[in-house]
Amino acid sequence: MTPEQPKSVSRPSLPALPSGASGVLSRRALLGAGAGALLGGSLSGCGGQSPTHSEDGRRLLNVWHAWGGVMGPRFEKVCQAFEKSHPEIKLRLVYTQNNLSTNQKFFTSVAAGTPPDVTFVDGPQVASWAEWGALEPLTQFTTSAGVKAEDFFPPTWRQNVYREQVWALTYSADPNFGFAWNKEAFRKAGLNPDDPPQTIDELTETAGKLTQKQDGVLRQIGLIPWAQYGPANSMFTWGWAFGGDFFDYASNRITATHPRVLKALEWIAEFAKDYDPARVASLQQGFGTAEQNPFYSGKLAMQCLHIGGIGDIERYAPNLDYGVTYIPAPPEGEARSSWVGGWCMSIPKGARNVEDAWEYIRWLCHSEVGTQIVGSECSIYPGMRHSPYFEQVKSRRFYRDYVKILEDSRHQRPVMPVQAYYMRELQRAVEAAVYGRSTPAEALAIAEKNTQAELELALAG
Amino acid sequence: MSARELQLSVGSGAARRARERVWTGLAFAAPAIVGLLWFTAFPVISSLYYSFCNYRVLKPPVFIGGGNYRRLFEDPLFFTSLWNTAYYAAFAVPLGIVLALALAMLLNTGVRGLAIYRTCFYVPSVVPIVASAVLWIWLLSPQEGAVNDLLRMVGVKEGPGWFQSPEWSKPAIILWSLWNVGGGMVIFLAGLQDVPKELHEAAALDGARPLAQFRNVTLPFISPQILFNLVMGLIGAFQFFTPAYVMTNGSGGPVDSTTFYSLYLFNVAFSDFKMGYACAMAWVLLLVVLSATTLVLRSSARLVYYGGDA
Repeated sequence: MTPEQPKSVSRPSLPALPSGASGVLSRRALLGAGAGALLGGSLSGCGGQSPTHSEDGRRLLNVWHAWGGVMGPRFEKVCQAFEKSHPEIKLRLVYTQNNLSTNQKFFTSVAAGTPPDVTFVDGPQVASWAEWGALEPLTQFTTSAGVKAEDFFPPTWRQNVYREQVWALTYSADPNFGFAWNKEAFRKAGLNPDDPPQTIDELTETAGKLTQKQDGVLRQIGLIPWAQYGPANSMFTWGWAFGGDFFDYASNRITATHPRVLKALEWIAEFAKDYDPARVASLQQGFGTAEQNPFYSGKLAMQCLHIGGIGDIERYAPNLDYGVTYIPAPPEGEARSSWVGGWCMSIPKGARNVEDAWEYIRWLCHSEVGTQIVGSECSIYPGMRHSPYFEQVKSRRFYRDYVKILEDSRHQRPVMPVQAYYMRELQRAVEAAVYGRSTPAEALAIAEKNTQAELELALAG
Repeated sequence: MSARELQLSVGSGAARRARERVWTGLAFAAPAIVGLLWFTAFPVISSLYYSFCNYRVLKPPVFIGGGNYRRLFEDPLFFTSLWNTAYYAAFAVPLGIVLALALAMLLNTGVRGLAIYRTCFYVPSVVPIVASAVLWIWLLSPQEGAVNDLLRMVGVKEGPGWFQSPEWSKPAIILWSLWNVGGGMVIFLAGLQDVPKELHEAAALDGARPLAQFRNVTLPFISPQILFNLVMGLIGAFQFFTPAYVMTNGSGGPVDSTTFYSLYLFNVAFSDFKMGYACAMAWVLLLVVLSATTLVLRSSARLVYYGGDA
């Protein structure tokens, strides 16, 4: 069947945000005056504005990025390429973890009127940050630079449009997910290693055949449906695959009780009845370290795999014999279902070097040369649909499958200001259903009711 | 100049000097005073005001009266988090005190190599909390953890699911907390070494057995340390945050079983940006801690013995 087309990005019920930022200004003035009066010049190094030019006369651009670890040096290479092509700009890079739990520093800097010129923001957070007044709209820049919606994969554009304004450009597009299966495990269980399950019924049956217990200890498990990168992401993944939807943009309603979402959770809960969730939990993607991923070590035979998994498997389990395909879906659900996550780039409210900030964002997210360098240095997919990088990866095993998945992606997490809250509520609903604390219908009804109230509270100001 | 005039001028000089000394003193203390006022008093008072506001950090606060407090009492997760925290405090604090005291008494028996044992028991308290939390995730992994391996050896085929199980996640965290009793132990050890030996000797001469000596001699002398550990433990338990955050990735799962009060407060503040609501939660927490501490201090007045003012 033809899956439901994604909703339009125009949301009549959500008017544009007021352009005035008097609250920010008055707070800034208050903080500035207070700090000035009390601390005088003694702390000038902490609260003062940073210089606008480097020692060699280039314009400084302050960038807070989220790339630590092995990604740090790779991202620096991208930035060196930018500086080379823009000799009048000098980048000042600061690694600042900037996710849900570590964004205090960013918000404090905006409140204090000393934000960076460019910040990274997690795609699903763009609407929240726009609603709270932490970002500058980019619409005037995208319009004058001719940046159009169709230049991007649809979900990567939609996640950045909120209240009729563009707030960010997508830097990395994660096709969530590829469905990976362990061919060796299939062979051992007498299954055809080149015939992965395509429907939910096949998936359930195959998972049963791939689960092995020995002396009361699970040795191998076929699938843990609620452990696809956390319960909330699992709910999104299966909910969409089953043909459901999570938000109605026309009426601004949370639709966690969508009949197809409910069907998905019922399937997950049914699955959980055959396993002790607490025991299975220790086999799921545990504490973030790739070496322990149960799929890599062969303990988990099937899982939805994030694109970063390909590199991890090359590094930690180079001999793993596996394949990647589309996520299985029921016949009445959505074939080739997937959604998009990833990082975006934005200009914080109160940024000083706005022109250069836009040029930097545009170059990294919407130029052929920039996206090509980002892709090849950092091994991530740009949100820009016609980036030459995709030609480069189409010859690479697995990566080409993910390009197809990205091209077919129809969804992004709901673009609305209480997305983080919604994620937590969905997680609670999935856990309640999996651990048998409530029926899937009750669990989703609670999630829907709570999130709707939270959304209305947020929109009320 | 007459003697009286001289006296007057000396007197006013002394007064002036005294005034100058006060101002000099204040000037030297100014950084601390300003710091306290600006970085502690001002935020605390602001948070009280914000608790009556709808406040999203980057937008100006809007006064809504008691709205946040009213919503708090309609929020089931608020009560869940309060219950989880009370559960943790009710078990972790007394168990921690008993274990710390037991260890301290063992160390106080004059064993050889006291310093080595003392260090061994104290070391876990020095390990950064995040590191020890991660370590315990490993130890208590239901499938491969050392604890369940041990249980398997003694015949428990299916050990608990620990952090993955809604029933066992709080006991698992309490178990972790007992690993950190080193601080309390050192305090008890210091207290035990202050118990007068002659009292023990006199009691022994009177025929008191070790248990009676402990009850009638040791316990009264270390009652101030017990009170101190109890009060600090209670305050710490109500503010319990880091290990729960690390062990559950900030989710408070499974099924809200580790949503402790501070964890929920943190999510409300920094994930949902309901700073007003979070401030209201913080003030309720302050009241809870204050009442619990007052209760303990009041009820302990007759039970604690401070040497000297008998």
